[in-house]
Amino acid sequence: MFRFVVDSRSTMNISINKSNHDIDANPESSLLDVLQQNLQLTGTKYGCGEGNCGACTVLVDGEATRSCITPVGSVAGRKVTTVEGLADDGQLNPVQEAFVEESAFQCGYCTPGFVISATALLSRNSAPSVGEIKSALSGHICRCGAYVRIVKAVQNAADSGGSK
Amino acid sequence: MNSDTQMLIRVVGPPFAGVIQQTGASPDSATLLEVFADGSVFVYSGKVEYGQGIRNSFAQMIASVLERDAEDIQVILADTARVPFDRGTTGSASTRTVGVQLAKAAEAAKAVIAKGLDPGDELGIEIVISGDEDGVAVDAFNSLTPHQGAARVDGTERVTGSAVYAHDFSLDGTAHGRLIRPPANGAKLVRLDAARAEQVPGFIQLVQVDGLIGVVAETKEAADRAASFVRARWDESGDYVSDWSMPAALNDRASEPVFLRDDGNALEGLTGAAEVISGTYYAPYVANAQMEPSAASVRWNDDGSLTVWCSNRAPFTEQAMLSSALGVDADKIRVITQEVGGSFGTKSQSVSLEAAILARESGRIVKVAYTREEEFSTSTVRPAALMEINAGVDDAGKLVAWDYTAVHAGDNAFRGRRGADSPYDAPSTRIRVADSPSPLPHGSYRSLGGAVNHFGREVHIDVIARQLGIDPLEFRLNNLSHPRYRRVLERVAEMSVWQSRPSSSSSSSGGKIGFGIAVGFDAGSYVAQIAQVSVEGSVVSVERVDVAFDCGKVFNPEGARNQIEGSVVMGLGTALWEAVEFDGGRVLSNGFGAYRVPRITDVPEISVEFIDDPADDPSGAGEPGIVPIAAAIANAVVDATGIALDRLPIEPQL
Repeated sequence: MFRFVVDSRSTMNISINKSNHDIDANPESSLLDVLQQNLQLTGTKYGCGEGNCGACTVLVDGEATRSCITPVGSVAGRKVTTVEGLADDGQLNPVQEAFVEESAFQCGYCTPGFVISATALLSRNSAPSVGEIKSALSGHICRCGAYVRIVKAVQNAADSGGSK
Repeated sequence: MNSDTQMLIRVVGPPFAGVIQQTGASPDSATLLEVFADGSVFVYSGKVEYGQGIRNSFAQMIASVLERDAEDIQVILADTARVPFDRGTTGSASTRTVGVQLAKAAEAAKAVIAKGLDPGDELGIEIVISGDEDGVAVDAFNSLTPHQGAARVDGTERVTGSAVYAHDFSLDGTAHGRLIRPPANGAKLVRLDAARAEQVPGFIQLVQVDGLIGVVAETKEAADRAASFVRARWDESGDYVSDWSMPAALNDRASEPVFLRDDGNALEGLTGAAEVISGTYYAPYVANAQMEPSAASVRWNDDGSLTVWCSNRAPFTEQAMLSSALGVDADKIRVITQEVGGSFGTKSQSVSLEAAILARESGRIVKVAYTREEEFSTSTVRPAALMEINAGVDDAGKLVAWDYTAVHAGDNAFRGRRGADSPYDAPSTRIRVADSPSPLPHGSYRSLGGAVNHFGREVHIDVIARQLGIDPLEFRLNNLSHPRYRRVLERVAEMSVWQSRPSSSSSSSGGKIGFGIAVGFDAGSYVAQIAQVSVEGSVVSVERVDVAFDCGKVFNPEGARNQIEGSVVMGLGTALWEAVEFDGGRVLSNGFGAYRVPRITDVPEISVEFIDDPADDPSGAGEPGIVPIAAAIANAVVDATGIALDRLPIEPQL
């Protein structure tokens, strides 16, 4: 199939971790690439590039979203929160704190994605059941297999006051 | 080193304790530990942190000796310019080799501190320690207080996104490389046309050197786009083997087997047995599929030296490989290992060479970061294996003969030898392992071939017990006199409902319930597991796994538990679903859509108990947990369904 070598760019205004950015990029580029390459926000990880593993999850207007399959043009004018934006003035959020306490990771590569999705879960359901926790995190892969601890960490975070 | 403050104490010595040091080409002496005037303590090791928590273990051990907080201990890992030589982070051996020696170094520093330091001492004190010929290092290790709690010294960086992995590492001015790869292993390039790639804004160069083809561009996006415009035609006529013909290919192309053991006379033992029970078992290729795909950034410096930021399991091996491939002296190559996003046995060594060649040819700092598809298509996989077992039993239910022959794919059968030996008492025991050409690049995996050999052996033990009408636990205990095997089996039975388990039942969800047991040995440790499954149609839910684990004295129970839980989860995937599909060198399962790995919804309740006998030296915890699990699950599924299982994965057979 013949394809044209074209490179269309435009400038988009996106709120990222509470500050406004004018981003000059191809609107079809993935949000993940823009975060990592243009803004050096590398806490959001590339895991599969097809939305299967959850490592690239960010919040878009509070919703857990796979940034690797989200065109950056689709988040223009919206609020994006990455793992770097969860801590408030150096104070970890309850999910982050619980993950550290439980060591709910081994290598830690998948951790930002899990932390983001768990934060989104607790913001809409402050006392989730184990089933609800598993269901909310079923789109994520932790190949080190720290799942038992991840469930416990999210429960602990909920007990300690959830996503506030 | 800490340049802001005066070094007070430097402990120098061999980087490994004891026997291990004497078996390899390790250096005599290097800096292991330094104490500075501001109170900071630096520890140096060539081990790599890839999720097993070794930075944390070292920090906690040294903190325990020096009576400090673990956060005060700076652990410098896997930077070839700063740490002692190391052969690589494998075999669950870090604690019992380097850890033991670092504990001894800390003891030596502590003794000096106890005598009182002169704050005006300008030069610092150098203490030289030996290896472990005298057992002092192990004594130092065994006197450590076990660490309580789970939190790791490097946890915060992991939850805030500030931990830097090779896949996200970047320097200013870095150009991005993307390789043009053959669609199948062994395919030959016929024609290449990069004319349109060159029109992509940001394109720098097409590199074609020694069979490597890659584009270099200013940005990742430009490199991706340029690579997508390179048109290549390939000749794929090569090895015809595919995943479905692999068992036969293993058998047909097997080498002469190597004898690992030949006690008594296996053939006579079988001939004289009251009953001979035979089976053939197969385990397919499986992928490590660690979450971070391989990546490296390389800079050629003005003096001809190069600096490599990458993920690896053995920085000095990486250095040696680059030295020989690039013709640059090893001491001019600095490998700085980043946080490693999982390994389990793979992590491409070729990625740093690829980045180095692209950087050399383009004159730029070049980063190469694999896609998931590249990782699945190019990284090494656990060798497929075929295991044939003939077992003879007498009228009393005792094994009299055990004849085991395994064929593992690859020309590197040392991997296949791990775990092939049998612990059972059969007076005639013959253990043979052969290799067979591998159509896919094969390599290490958690426990190497250990988990594969244990699958064949422990499933066959259940087949024998079932045929004789003896309880599988009782049959194992009847034929195992080794006290540490017996101890983990007895403990795991106490932990679970094994003795009172129902003979056949259905769960509330309507699935058939089954229980399976298996026992194993790996990396110096003994482990027994009982799996409880529920089977509904062809869907297996593993509901509970009990683990009795004997790794000698346990220093960091939560760290070890985390590793064992992870091993169970990883092994569960190989038991139920995982198999690399391929056709003539072309890997077909090259994404997480086509290659199913365990998710949070698949995970059973996992209970782990340690034997924790202070009389036994510390042994590995990172790998042994995986060796019995596939057999325990398979045995449980057979218990639930009555369907005979002779291969992995299980679900496609139901």
